[in-house]
Amino acid sequence: MLKRKMLKNWGWPLRIASRGTEVTRLYPEVMMELPAAERGIHELDATTCIGCASCARICPNSCIEMVTYKYGSPLKNKKMQYPQIDYGRCMFCGLCVDECPAECLKMGKKVTMAGWEREDIVRGPDKLAVKKFTAKEAAELAAEAKRIAAEKAAAAAAKKKAAAKEGAPAEGAAKKVAKEGAENKPPKKAVAKEGENKEANAQEPKKEDAKPTEGGAS
Amino acid sequence: MTTASDVLSAVQSAFPGAVLESRVESDRRLWATIDSNSIVDVCKHLSEKLNFDHYSGAAGVDWIARKEMEVVEIMASHGAHQVVAMLKSKTPRENPSVKSLANLFWNANWYEREIWEMFGINFEGHPGLYPLLLGDELVGVWPWRKDFKGYPDLTTGQRAVERPTSEGYTEYFIPPTPAEIEAGTVPKEKPKYPSFREREEKEIKSDSEMIMHMGPQHAMLPGPFLLDILIEGERVHKAFLDMGYIHKGIEKIMENRTWLQGLTYTDRMCYVASLSNNECYCGAIEKILGLEVPLRAQYIRVILEELSRIQSHLIGTGEFMTLIAGVGYAPWNFMIIDRESIISLIESVTGARLTHTFVRFGGVRNDLPEGFSDKCRSALKYIESRTKEYIELFEQDPIYHMRMENVGVLSPDRAKRVGISGPPLRATGVAYDMRKEDPILVYPDLDFKVVTGTRGDSADRIDVRLREILESIHIIEQCLDRIPAGPIKTETKVPKKIPAGEAYYRVEDPRGEMGMYVISDGGDKPYRVKVRGPVYATLQTLPPLLEGVYIADAVAIAGSMDGCPSEADR
Repeated sequence: MLKRKMLKNWGWPLRIASRGTEVTRLYPEVMMELPAAERGIHELDATTCIGCASCARICPNSCIEMVTYKYGSPLKNKKMQYPQIDYGRCMFCGLCVDECPAECLKMGKKVTMAGWEREDIVRGPDKLAVKKFTAKEAAELAAEAKRIAAEKAAAAAAKKKAAAKEGAPAEGAAKKVAKEGAENKPPKKAVAKEGENKEANAQEPKKEDAKPTEGGAS
Repeated sequence: MTTASDVLSAVQSAFPGAVLESRVESDRRLWATIDSNSIVDVCKHLSEKLNFDHYSGAAGVDWIARKEMEVVEIMASHGAHQVVAMLKSKTPRENPSVKSLANLFWNANWYEREIWEMFGINFEGHPGLYPLLLGDELVGVWPWRKDFKGYPDLTTGQRAVERPTSEGYTEYFIPPTPAEIEAGTVPKEKPKYPSFREREEKEIKSDSEMIMHMGPQHAMLPGPFLLDILIEGERVHKAFLDMGYIHKGIEKIMENRTWLQGLTYTDRMCYVASLSNNECYCGAIEKILGLEVPLRAQYIRVILEELSRIQSHLIGTGEFMTLIAGVGYAPWNFMIIDRESIISLIESVTGARLTHTFVRFGGVRNDLPEGFSDKCRSALKYIESRTKEYIELFEQDPIYHMRMENVGVLSPDRAKRVGISGPPLRATGVAYDMRKEDPILVYPDLDFKVVTGTRGDSADRIDVRLREILESIHIIEQCLDRIPAGPIKTETKVPKKIPAGEAYYRVEDPRGEMGMYVISDGGDKPYRVKVRGPVYATLQTLPPLLEGVYIADAVAIAGSMDGCPSEADR
């Protein structure tokens, strides 16, 4: 009785093995089918990224760094800052994707990232971008951005002149006056801010937020 | 049914003046600050008169601004009522000391040791305050206090000084720099205590006894922890357990991360149960915020948590089969294949195989994909047939029976006393399941029963796990039938800064009772996160359970507990 039971159980693996269940995945030759929700290597849409660095701030491992990249849109991303991801540290939690306000950072189905050197797994916007502008398009956009910026700067200068003539501070500056309680400061402050903005490290998005509306030209 | 306010009035009438502050959060949660002189009497009264027979754990909190420390005792009941009492006792920050509960509740021992080594709170009357999780060189710096400056840099090999030990070996010692001493990253004065090795060698009574090491690296162990057994011949006389080999300090790390970033760390406490850890953390924060989770999101969470339970039980059982080698190696392989179908299902929703980071405050990350229901049903059907086969296989295998039956028997009373939870507790016949005791999400609407065993031995523990898989399948099928359409995230915007408050939230982890005690001080980071994991209690139970068994049975007992040191060493 005991022997028969044992024999029956020894036959069990054979029975199951003959059912044709998939046991081994032929990995490099046959890639398994990955779901649409897969959190693999990031895909960046450089044409819509606004360079807000939300992804860099939320990253628990701080593996995202904002770097300069040519083939994006200067209309949307004035300082041309795009994420660079260090996959040596990335844990694929997907928080960066959730935080992205422009929905330009996604996670794709690619998962292999082997390289010969440590730098190979640090992927800049060039490698991450699935959508980007060609050099020609980028140049056109840059020219367009320059034109708009110049227009804006001219408008701002005109406004300031008018404001100085009237003796009343501009609308945006009025708040500043209320805060600081000094009357002659606002125009000076705005100029100083402009100068700062040029030098400011573009990785810091807070400065961009705090920027006065008329002083965006660079 | 006893409610929290009943308990509060009972305590207030029994000990007038002992309750300094109190808050009844709901029928099932009682928060009270107890006078530190009468905490032991209050706990004794609760356990003897008010059926609080489950000492669930303790947490230390460092209130640096108020210049005081707090020890929060978590008390619950094994089914007599559903109240969880969170009893706080305060102590000044200078020379903090509270009364120990270790003589009242056996399992308070480890929780108090952890609080002592992390916060430096002394426990009067504790039988042995020895470090448990920390390395010897860090004892005395009290790393989880809020004014701790960080670990000294001990990675610099050039600083190492060679010195001979009294036994004739050479050991390397890294002397602290003056700057480190000043910053307080090295202990100024070390507490005196016998080391683990000295403690266990003291127990050797005769020449015929010896100590055998199982671990930190051992085929039996799912992760590194040290199990030393004192043996005479084939008999185990005493067992000693040391852990902390992979202590990650996740609770401290989470204090330095924003609320959302902290979620990723809950995944990594135990990767086979990451969904229930996510749920526990998010649930606690939702409780503080008072967020209502949309119904669809609740169903998605339940479906995924039950799927996660199935895969955890499959891998736990499969791994155990390789350990005892009784039925052969085959079940492991087959369970891993089965598990693959469940993992693929979870992956199709969450996008990750193990560390899901899926649950969000007030919802979930993704909706179920197209055709999930059909895929899930067919996979579950397959798992169901396979699980029934496994149960039948184990039932009729004589080798398995000889190896497992009446090995490591826990009686219901003893199991309750040692504070174990999950399948090992249910195997003894105690129907204690968080899904029924502290129901969350849509569990109260679902029809399922708590699987219990009868004997409480190793075979029963495995049997309970396998039958729980069938129960989980039943739950998921109900959810798939009922799941409504609708949003998957709450419409209220979750603020970056969580308002000040505290919450204790319990879920049924695949391994037992998982609770998180989250305190917010109104900032963008948690003030304190205490994780009360099930494996901590399981590992604490091992040494007394191993006394008097054969060496070979030690494996059958320790393995059947499905302990994951990674979670205990969180």
